Parts: sequence; structure tokens; C-alpha cells
Amino acid sequence: MSGITLRDIRKSYPNGPEILHGVSMDIKPGEFIVIVGPSGCGKSTLLRLIAGLERCEQGDIEIGGKRANNLAPQNRDIAMIFQNYALYPHMTVRENIAFGLELRGMPKAERNARAESVAKTLQLDPYLDRKPGALSGGQRQRVAMGRAMARNTSIFLMDEPLSNLDNSLRVTMRTEIKELHRQLGATIVYVTHDQTEALSLADRIAVMKDGDLLQFDTPEAIYDRPNNRFVAGFLGVPPMNFLPVAQLPGWQGRQDLMVGLRPEAMSVHLDQPREAALPVRLVLSEMTGSDLILHCDSAAGRITLTSGRKDRPRDTSNFWVSYDLDQAVFFDNHSGTRVDLASAIGPSKRCAEFRNGSSRQ
Amino acid sequence: MKRENPFMVGLALVVGLLFLSPVLYSIWISFETAQAYYTGSPEFTLDNYVRAVSEYNFARYLMNSIIVSGLVTLLGITIATMAAFAFARFQFRGGDLLFGATVATLMIPSHISLIPNYLTLAKAGLLDTYAGLILPAVSNGFAAFFLRQYIRGIPKALDEAAYMDGATPMQVLWRVIVPIARPAIFSMGLYIFITEWNNYIWPLIAVGKDDLFTLQIGLARLYRINPGEGLVDWPLVMAASTITILPVLAGFLLVERHLVRGITMGAIK
Repeated sequence: MSGITLRDIRKSYPNGPEILHGVSMDIKPGEFIVIVGPSGCGKSTLLRLIAGLERCEQGDIEIGGKRANNLAPQNRDIAMIFQNYALYPHMTVRENIAFGLELRGMPKAERNARAESVAKTLQLDPYLDRKPGALSGGQRQRVAMGRAMARNTSIFLMDEPLSNLDNSLRVTMRTEIKELHRQLGATIVYVTHDQTEALSLADRIAVMKDGDLLQFDTPEAIYDRPNNRFVAGFLGVPPMNFLPVAQLPGWQGRQDLMVGLRPEAMSVHLDQPREAALPVRLVLSEMTGSDLILHCDSAAGRITLTSGRKDRPRDTSNFWVSYDLDQAVFFDNHSGTRVDLASAIGPSKRCAEFRNGSSRQ
Repeated sequence: MKRENPFMVGLALVVGLLFLSPVLYSIWISFETAQAYYTGSPEFTLDNYVRAVSEYNFARYLMNSIIVSGLVTLLGITIATMAAFAFARFQFRGGDLLFGATVATLMIPSHISLIPNYLTLAKAGLLDTYAGLILPAVSNGFAAFFLRQYIRGIPKALDEAAYMDGATPMQVLWRVIVPIARPAIFSMGLYIFITEWNNYIWPLIAVGKDDLFTLQIGLARLYRINPGEGLVDWPLVMAASTITILPVLAGFLLVERHLVRGITMGAIK
């Protein structure tokens, strides 16, 4: 197994702006890393640099402890799954899976046996003699995975491999990829803009924006302790609520802070509760199956929260929303960076008052 | 299955026959004797074909045409495909300029290059050789341009997947790009073959030996064969013409199935 180290990677194209502004990352052998970020943040470029499909002029890429900046893609011992699968249309499934082995000089019988074994794992064995044009989207995606698996490499790069699948197939394939990682134990670098994929698959998540790496940590840490407002807002469905702290009961003096509250950190009360709470008016409710997503207006701004279907307030009704400050995250209003709870709420006395809801208005 | 409109089928048959009629008529004449042709009496013979081959060296001309056109096509399409791949896929210093120069060759009338080519080959001692007939036609700017445009339409992710699989650039070209670009390559190959097969001017000035003449030169010489009273021996000319067109027709039928459709379906979601 090989790890990957990226040191101060910068990338720009001729006559173009800089796309990556010094990204550094240390990926341990066998780790499942998900790089996530909005379109144009540089995540695919970073993946292509690791693959060797783009030249790395500034910074260092080390694969398995060796500098790989000048290694051709075929010499990096990396397999890659492309967003659009990139299957060879003139070859059968068997030939597609075995092509990489053929190029490496493996005898025909051996590579066919390997292709068949991989196809069996991916339940592709009935389609071995079909060409990609005769397969469904999900089957093509499996062939792309099979092609990478057959090579038996220690590093897999996946560039939004599920983005072209429908929702139910995506959920199935997500589980299969996770299972595959457990079986192979390989290092996987996975690029996506889907935060559910990121949270469910990753050992660690790298959140990128505009060519910068904003946070590189475990899914729990990123979800619970986001470094800044962007990370906080990017991960989580529905997204985190950002409210001016000054609008919360007992916090009128603090103009410099925003509080971030996840929807699940808030609770619905039809009557005014004992703890600190905000009066709200229901604007819209969305049924997601087991839960409801409630969009409400409050004096602090728009709030989105989840609630069980039983607790559903009547449409356009007024009710109360309490919040759990232990789950809240504070951000500096100007820089957007996270501020520690202790420094945010100041003296412990006030903190205690606040938590007890004694400052309720 | 959709039923064809009988009127359209009839119309297509009539138009098809109209286009084919000169060819069919010339094949018909090729089986007549000269006397029968001029007197109008029905008298059929294979003698014109026998004479064309035995008396007028048409078997040799046919072989020369096949060698010259075949090699020009093979070398031309190979060089054009490699150039097209380089122009389509690689950024290199002077690449745009080189491609501009390649496209510019399309704007130069071929006759302008006759004398410089002749002088170059004369200096190289290649007149009256197969090489002299073949080499000037091997570099084909139009083919390079056409194939470059086609290759640019093939998703680059396929090249990248092959590189990740361990392919070298040449393996990417021959194992991935060429099979996918097969319809375009066969179309261009057929075009080059027919153009070279019909080439008259260059073989006329590049070779003077009867053993190196191509069919077109041989065919032109037949007009000077006089059956008497200032008449052209049309049945003989038509037999020779039939010998000239049949290999092209056979070649077309052979590669036709490769021209029909592209095969990138299924490569990319």
C-alpha cells in the first residue's frame, strides 16, 4: 500500500489565473480520502495532478515515499475511474477490463482469468462479451471500476464516479465502493461535489474552495467543528443556519459573531419552552419521508430545521424554536472563521446563564 | 418494419439507372467487336479484354496502378493519422504554425508543385521509379486536417484512461484512437486511393518507361490505336476502361461497411 503526500501544490495554465494556491495534504496508506467542493474549486485538477495527467510545475507530489512529479501516468501504479467512465467503445467488457494487464505484458490466459474474476465480483460476468454500447449506465460504471480493480494497484483515484447514475443506483454503488475499499485496503482519493457521498465514504474529507484547501479532517470533525462558514454551510442537508448572535436572547451586545446551528440542533415547541428559544412563523414545510424540513421566519432571519412528522406545526402557524448551544458553532462575522465557544461567550457566568435559558426575554 | 413508399423506390431506381447508364453502356460496348460497333450488327466477344492485356500491356499497368495507389494510400493515411493525432492531442512549440502550414497546402493548386517536384526527383535520381510516382503524393495535408478534426471529436478521457492503463502515446494511437476513428480513416483512405488511381498528370511527367505506366496513361495511349479510317477503337478503349474502374468498385464494396457508422457509442456516458 502506498500513501500520497502533496506539498504546496500550485497549478496555473498558460495565460490563465492560478487554479490551485498551494495545497498540501498527507494521505496515509489505505485511507479513503474524499475531496469535496463546489464546481471549479480545483478538486479534479488536484486529482489529475496526482494521476500525472497534468504536469505539476510547482510543489511536490510523493507517491509511496518517492517524488512523482516527473513520472508518467503509466509509471505511477495508480488506477483511475473517470466521471464519464471512458470505456473503450470498440472493446468488449472483457477486453476493457484486461487492457491494462495486456499493456503490462500479462499472458492472455492469465489476464482473461483475472478479468473474469473481477467481473464476477462486480456481477458483470453475464456481460463479458458485450461492448459498452450495449450496457446500462450502472453496468458501464461497474466496468470502469473493474478496469481499475483488475490492475491490482495500491492507489485508486475516482473522479465523481457516481455523478451520472440515478439516485437509487448511486446509493447502491456508494455502498459497494465502501465495501470494495474494505476488501482491497487500497488508498482511495475520491472527488465529488456531493456532500452526502463525502460524509458517508470518507475516512477524511478535504474541503476545497477556489483552489484553496479549507479543511482536511474526519467527517465528524468537519461536520461538528467546521473551520469556517463555507465548510459549515457546504456540508449537511439541510445546511447549517447562520444567525447573528446579537439576535439571540441575552446576546444583544455581540455584533461581531454569527452562530451556526445545524437543523437537528434545534427543536420545535408549540408553546414557549423554559429554555432559550426564538419565536418563529412557518413559511414552508417539506416532507422527506420520516422527517419534515421546516422553513421558518424569525427575527434573526430564515431558519431551517428538521422535525418528526408527529410534531408538525400547522401551516403558517407561529411556534417556538429552541437550540442546543453545545452543538452550536460560532464564527467571526468578518473573516468567517470559527471562534471557540469559550472566547465567544466570554465569562463562564454568562455562559451558564445562557445555557440555562435564564436570559430568556 | 417501415414500408417503403413505392413511388420513391421507383424514382430512386430510375435515377440510379440514369447515373449507371454510361458505365453499363461502356461495359456493353467493351464486349462488341470494333466492326460490330461501327456497323451496328450484334457480335459479342472477349477479344477486347484479351487484346488490352496481351497486346497493350494492361495487366502491367493494372499492377502498377495497384502498387502506386495502394502504397500512396497506405503511407499517406499512416502519416496523416500520426500527424492528425499529434495536432489533435499534443501542445508543442510551433504546433499551431505547423498545423497552419498544413492547412495552407490545401490552398495551393497541385499543378504549381509539378515542376518543383519534378526537379527535386530528377536531382534525387527518382524519375522513372516507383518511388518517384509514390513519394510526392504521400504527404496529404487534407487528410491530416480531416483526421485531426475527427480525432478532436473523440473524448480525450479515452486517451487518459489508456495512459492510466499503462499505454504509451503510440499505443494510445494504434489501440484506442485508430479503431475508433476507423470510419474516418477508411473514408479518407478510399478518397486518397481513388484520387491516386485517377491521377494522370504526375505519372505522365514522372515516368517515361512503358513498364512503369499506370492505367490512366495506358488508357490515354489507347486513343491513338486506330482501327482504320480515322476511327477510335471504342470497344478496346471501353474494355480497358472497365479494367480501370472494376478494382475501384471492388475496393469500395470492400471498405463500405467500415464507412457506415461511428463506434464511439457507449464510451462516454
